[in-house]
Amino acid sequence: MPQPLFTWLLIAPSLALFAVFNILPLLWLVGLSFFRYNLTFGPPPQFAGLKNYTDLMNDRFLWGRLGLTLLFVLLAVGIETVLGALLGYAFWKKRDLPGRRLALTLLFVPMVLAPVAVGTFFKIIYDPMYGVLPYYAARLLRIKPPDLLGSGNLAFPAVLAVDVWMWTPFLIMMTVAALGAVPKALLESAEVDRLTAWQRMRYVVWPHAKFVLMLGVVLRTIDAFKTFDLVSAMTAGGPGNQTQLVSLTIFREAFNDFAIGKASALSLLVLFIAVSLASIYLFVLNYGVLREGK
Amino acid sequence: MIGRRRIASALASLGLWAVCAAFFMPVFWIFLAAFKTRAQILTIPPIWVFHPSLEGLRFMVERQAGAFWQYLLNSVMISALAVTIAVFVAYLAAFSLSRFKPAATDFMMFLLLSIRMVPGAAVVLPLFMMYRSLGWIGSRWAIVLFYAMFSLPFSLWILKGFLDGVSRRFDEAAMVDGASRFHVMFRVVLPQVKPGVVAALIFNMIFVWNEFLFDFILGGERVATIPVALAAGLYTSQGTDWQYIASLTLVYTAPLMVAIFFVQRHLLLGMTFGTVRGEV
Repeated sequence: MPQPLFTWLLIAPSLALFAVFNILPLLWLVGLSFFRYNLTFGPPPQFAGLKNYTDLMNDRFLWGRLGLTLLFVLLAVGIETVLGALLGYAFWKKRDLPGRRLALTLLFVPMVLAPVAVGTFFKIIYDPMYGVLPYYAARLLRIKPPDLLGSGNLAFPAVLAVDVWMWTPFLIMMTVAALGAVPKALLESAEVDRLTAWQRMRYVVWPHAKFVLMLGVVLRTIDAFKTFDLVSAMTAGGPGNQTQLVSLTIFREAFNDFAIGKASALSLLVLFIAVSLASIYLFVLNYGVLREGK
Repeated sequence: MIGRRRIASALASLGLWAVCAAFFMPVFWIFLAAFKTRAQILTIPPIWVFHPSLEGLRFMVERQAGAFWQYLLNSVMISALAVTIAVFVAYLAAFSLSRFKPAATDFMMFLLLSIRMVPGAAVVLPLFMMYRSLGWIGSRWAIVLFYAMFSLPFSLWILKGFLDGVSRRFDEAAMVDGASRFHVMFRVVLPQVKPGVVAALIFNMIFVWNEFLFDFILGGERVATIPVALAAGLYTSQGTDWQYIASLTLVYTAPLMVAIFFVQRHLLLGMTFGTVRGEV
């Protein structure tokens, strides 16, 4: 078998899966976004030109949802990265922690729970009457048990807190892995050369750890942007629309209001934002590698 | 001096264990609820010590004439098949991209990563329309292959990272000895990237095991997995069925916990995407 044929033959199954389950639906999505189409009733799809897009541009409610989503991503990923990096460093440093394997297992469990289950169960953990959290908060702070998910001011931070709890372990794991990528010999010679803690971080640890750490941040950003199950199960976007992230809006447009055309246009807009965000990250990542002349 | 250092070390251990316990606490609370009676779950002040009851687990299994086993079987079959297919297909592609470096390798890597960027809620709609037109709704293979596609990019990224780290001398030496290409791929190179394979399997398993939206919209009763059953069976005539949620979560999470305990080393090593060999 000639080499080029073999090369592409190995890649073909991946590309085939990609084409059928990704490219095809995306083309479908682009097509639908130009139509006026209701899934359940009314006339067959009508060509609407750019109407769905102009509607989007003028929809202030949607822009509000997008802003909320960006805020959510920024806060969630920011807090998770800082906490994850600090704790990850501590766990990496303390390699002789007794029962480390069990400790890390317990630590990693939140991220393997089904988000639907977590979201649902936090409804009762947060419940002002039956919830364990408001109960202890009330006892400790001597206040009335707060209605976390039901009040306009507290719902967003409460949802954010669950996301931080669930996903900080992921960044802890990425940090531990990233620090593991630093060659031990280099660390030892840094010790011998008496570099300051800052110098050691900047010139020894960071160049080796950054790729994995940044990858963790990229993956987490992408996923935070897509958050759906967790919030959908916990608040369904309420109270009011305080926690309605954009993925919930899309779902609502498509499967509650059956406004397929508009939902498609919105999907494409969100996709565009997600890809841009990730491209920026990857560009920064690649640029760093290039600069090192790797 | 030595005494002081020892105390500091003990305090550090204690602190780190406290962090782990704090993160585990909500999970522990859900697990406890699986062994409580319905009334006990809602009791305030919260009960921490009680006589464990198996009522919740029994209800869970007996509910809907044993549909639980069907859901569990679906979950196991769908995630195992999807992830195996994904890792196998990804290994072929990663091998080719790493060894033969065809044109547009970087672009393809980015293109495949972009799959992960698509918000589920955005892509489930056209997929639903497509599946409906093709009559794939409720088909087991259509779901499995979709999840395989979704697990592909991550597997490919991990595996390519590891393959890049395996010297090509191994390939060449084996080729000189007259080994076939497939022998090189699966007998010579594959054993050296085992941590990558394990990490790819575990990570995608976690994702598919817990995925809810796509199976909910594209599957049907016949292919419903446990997360879908969970979302569908939340409400009974007496309100939300907390006992059911807790029991399902316990049964559903326990295997993953055991897996994390045993393959932790591979997991951490896998996340370095092949940039280190040895211990993390």
